[in-house]
Amino acid sequence: MKRIPMLACCLLGAAWGLGSGCSSTTVNTVEPAVPTARREMLADQRVQTDASLARAVRVRGVNTATDAQGFLRVQIEIENTTRSRKQFTYRVQWFDDQGMLISLPTATAVPRALEGREVAYITATAPTPKAKDFRIQFLEPVTQ
Amino acid sequence: MKPRFRFLFPAALAALLPACSSPKTAYVEPGSSRLITSVDQVNIQDFAQAADTMVASLIDNLINPGQLRSGVPGEPALLAISRIQNQTGQQLDTDLLVKKIRVALLRTGKVWTSTTIAFGGPEDPLAAEEQQLLGKSAAGVNRRPDYTLSGKIIENTTRAGNIRQAAYVFQLSLTKTPEGIAVWEDEKTIVKQGSRPAVGF
Repeated sequence: MKRIPMLACCLLGAAWGLGSGCSSTTVNTVEPAVPTARREMLADQRVQTDASLARAVRVRGVNTATDAQGFLRVQIEIENTTRSRKQFTYRVQWFDDQGMLISLPTATAVPRALEGREVAYITATAPTPKAKDFRIQFLEPVTQ
Repeated sequence: MKPRFRFLFPAALAALLPACSSPKTAYVEPGSSRLITSVDQVNIQDFAQAADTMVASLIDNLINPGQLRSGVPGEPALLAISRIQNQTGQQLDTDLLVKKIRVALLRTGKVWTSTTIAFGGPEDPLAAEEQQLLGKSAAGVNRRPDYTLSGKIIENTTRAGNIRQAAYVFQLSLTKTPEGIAVWEDEKTIVKQGSRPAVGF
């Protein structure tokens, strides 16, 4: 008999939690059917250790461009495949032509959030013309 | 419950607790996502994020299109740091923002920063003295800055119930001298919401 009120309390709590905190917000978008801009897509290599984050925040493609002054620009198209808001952080690392990491005081983990089904872009500009390669790390938000 | 299982739960709890509790003090990488984030303060990661955005904007909008001009052919453009106003309610050292930008710009190979000409006096008084002595002699002509960097950090706070929100706006302008024309400007807003400080973001 004691179990029934407890179960009811649990169900009520769960329903309240779902109703208040986890309400889904999805995004509607519109764009030209035939885009004029042509992107140079890059073959990428992925190392996924957080499968749930990789499933929720999917990398759709990576494209790069280099301007006259030699600064590499990177654009990553990402998609939140879930129906709810997803928070994550990302960090961009730059490497020179010998594969050595370029350290900078501005290097930081950048917080980002995507609404449900939202497609967005992460853009990064190389800090120096010496930067020839890059790596982007995605991480679930760490909160204690 | 069987007697041998009676001790299983406390044992499992005791095993889990040390693993889950964080150490009292630890070194954290300044670029990591495990830094303390507080709503009512500009944290170091906010300065790094703002500086990163500003440098990327400068490269994209001024350096990459080839619009950065140097007064001395073959040398990088010379930048002087002007007034960076702190309009927040906190005591901030604006060098937490400016120094990061200076270092990043220097590493582009396109910009040098003057340590003898700055708002509020030279950053390096000895170098300024040397420069003055050189200027007085017939041999040397001191180089004047091609650009000055000025800006503001503004705070805007609001709250709804227990949730507090703080917006920190970083505004910067790069002015061409002696014309006094802002050739680049940008603004980065960092908004934080929460009820209490937390580790990570």
